[in-house]
Amino acid sequence: MEQLIEQLKGQIIEALNFEEMTPADIDADAPLFGEGLGLDSIDALELIMLLDREYGIKLADPKAGKAIFRSVRTMAEYIQANRTK
Amino acid sequence: MKIAITGIGTVSAIGLNCDETLQSLLNERSGVGKMHILGSNHKELPVGEVPYSDEQLKSMLELGNEPMPRTSLLGLMAAREALSMSKAPCDAFINGTTVGGMDLTEQNWHNYAEGKATENIRLHEAGESTNAIARHLNCDFTFIATPSTACSSALNAIFLGANLLRTGKAKRVLVGGSESLSKFHLNGFNVLMILDHEPCRPFDADRHGLNLGEGAGYLVLESEDDALNRGAEILAYIGGYANTCDAFHQTASSDNGEGAYLAMKNAIRMANIAPGDIVYVNAHGTATPNNDLSESAALLRLFGDKMPLVSSTKAFTGHTTSASGGLEAAICVMAMRNGFVPANLNWNSKAEGLIKPVMHTEKCELRYVLCNAFGFGGNESSLVLSAVPVELSEHSFNHAQPVASVDQTDDTDVSTYISAAEGRRMTAQMRRIVVAVRRAMKEAGIEKPDAIVCATRWGCMLQSMRFLTDMIDSDEQQLKPTPFIQSTHNTIASLIAIMTDNHGYNSTYSQGKESLQNAMTDIESQMSLGLIDSALVLEFDEQVEAWDNVLKLIDDKTNNTARAYVYKKGVR
Repeated sequence: MEQLIEQLKGQIIEALNFEEMTPADIDADAPLFGEGLGLDSIDALELIMLLDREYGIKLADPKAGKAIFRSVRTMAEYIQANRTK
Repeated sequence: MKIAITGIGTVSAIGLNCDETLQSLLNERSGVGKMHILGSNHKELPVGEVPYSDEQLKSMLELGNEPMPRTSLLGLMAAREALSMSKAPCDAFINGTTVGGMDLTEQNWHNYAEGKATENIRLHEAGESTNAIARHLNCDFTFIATPSTACSSALNAIFLGANLLRTGKAKRVLVGGSESLSKFHLNGFNVLMILDHEPCRPFDADRHGLNLGEGAGYLVLESEDDALNRGAEILAYIGGYANTCDAFHQTASSDNGEGAYLAMKNAIRMANIAPGDIVYVNAHGTATPNNDLSESAALLRLFGDKMPLVSSTKAFTGHTTSASGGLEAAICVMAMRNGFVPANLNWNSKAEGLIKPVMHTEKCELRYVLCNAFGFGGNESSLVLSAVPVELSEHSFNHAQPVASVDQTDDTDVSTYISAAEGRRMTAQMRRIVVAVRRAMKEAGIEKPDAIVCATRWGCMLQSMRFLTDMIDSDEQQLKPTPFIQSTHNTIASLIAIMTDNHGYNSTYSQGKESLQNAMTDIESQMSLGLIDSALVLEFDEQVEAWDNVLKLIDDKTNNTARAYVYKKGVR
C-alpha cells in the first residue's frame, strides 16, 4: 500500500503540473480538495483520467470521484480494490 | 437608429433551410440521433448531424472540388439563404466559429506527415473558414471578422454587426456563426463528462449532459430606413444586446449565474424595456447539470415569479456550439413571425432551483424575445429581438486613445507577477501574456477595464495540438481535460477576466493577420457608442513545434506573441 501511495503521489504531481513539488510534500491523509492541495473540478477530471490510464479503472459518473479522491490514501485504497492493470 | 432584420438563414440537423427548420419545430421533430457522418469511434454518443456528407453538401452548393471545411459548407448554405431572403448584398460579414477547419486537420494529419494534401493546411485557421464562405457569396465585403468565443461566438458576431451599423462603419451586415462537428470537440466534451448518451433533456431533473450538434445561422441586419427605402420585408428588429463575463471558471458557470444575469439585464436595458416585457426566452439550456442550474438561477434572479415562457431548442438540434447563437436567433425570428414558442423536448420532471420549460409547441404572440448563448470561459451573451422598432443610439465621435503598451518577449518578471499556484496550468506563452497584462494595467493605472478583447491568429495552439495528437495517437481513448479546456481561442481573454474578476465585455477574434484590426474595430465602435470607456486589447500566439512541422509544408510558421495594450475613451 505504501508503495502504491508513493507511486500515486508522483503521478498526481505529473498529471496536475505541480512542477515545484515532490512526493514528500504531499501528506497521504490530507484532503486533496478544498484545503490541502486545493484541487478543483478540472483536477477531478484529470484524476478520473489518471485512474483509467494507469490502473484501467473507468468511472462513468464524475460525482463518484468525490469519495474516492478524499485523500491520496483513499485513492490508493480504491485503486487496490478495483484496478484492472 | 432602428436595426431591422431583413434575412435569416439556417442549417442544422432539423433542416437545410428555414422552411424545413420551421416544420420540424412545429411538428416537434428532433434531429438528434445516431452518428452517421462524423468518423469518430464514439458511435455510442448521439449527435445532431446535418445528414449529408461533405461531398453531398458540395454538390448541393454547386461547388467544385476545392478544399473547404465542413464549417464553411454549412455556413455557405445558411448565408446564401439569408442573403437571398434579404434580396440585397452586404458589405460586412461577421462569422463566429471555433472549430474552423479542425475537421480537415483531423482527416489529413497523417497526410501532412507524408507531405500530402497540403492545400488543406491553411484552412485550419478560424478566419480562413470565414473567408472560404465569403469567397462564394456575391458580396463586396469591406469588412470580414471572425469572433471566436466558443459557444457564444455567433451572438457576439451579431452584436459587432449591430455596432458597425450604429457607428456608420457598415451599411448592411451578414452576421451569425457556423460550426461543424469534429472529433476534436466531441472527444473534448466527452472527457469533460458532459455528454448525454441518450437524447439530451434540458432543464430536466434527470438531465445528464448535452448532445453535440452542427449547423449555421445568420441574420442580415440594416437600418430600418434603408430597409424601407428599398422595399425590403422586415422580419423583426434588434432590441438590445449585451455580453459579459462570468469570470468564475474556464468551463463551469457560477452557482448564482452572475454573468448570465448581467448579460440578460443589460440587453433588456438597452432595449429600453422591463424584464416583464419579455414573452419568451430561448435559453442556452445545454442540458448539462451545471449550465441549466446556473441559467435557471440567473433567470429566477431577473424575472422572479413573473417568469416568461422558456425553452431550449437544443433537444431538436443538439448543441451547435459556435453556431448556436445565430441558429437560435433565427429560430426566434421564425417563432415571432409564426406566433409560436418552440417546445423544450424531452422534459419530464421539475427539480429544485430549475425553471420549468415549455413542454410542447405553444401558440403565442411574441413581441419581445430573449435569446441566450453562453460559452467556455464564462462568455455570456444575450440578445433581445423585437417585433416592433427599437431606437438604438448612434455614435458620438469618441475614439480609442492608447495609454499603455507592453510587449512581453521573454520570461523576465514571470515569477514576480504570477505565483506557482496561479501558473500551474498555464503554458509558457500564457504566462507571458498574463505578465504583459499586469504590467500594462499598472502602467495605465487601471484595475478593471470595461472590455477585454484578444486577437489571435491560431488561438491556444499548444494545448490544441496536445489534445489533437493525444486523440490521434490514442485512437480517441486516452485524453486529458486540461488541454481541451484551454484549446478554445478565447482561453486567454477568459483567463485574464477570471484572474482580475472582470465581468465586463469579453471577446476574441481570429481573423489571420487582420485579427488585431477586428479587435480594434470592436472596441472603437463600442467607445463611439458609449458602451465602454476603457479596454484591454491583447495579441496572443504561441510557437508550437508540432504545428510548425505541418506549416513548413506551406512555408509558414507560428510565432510567440504576447502583447497587451490599454485604451481609454478620448474625445476627438
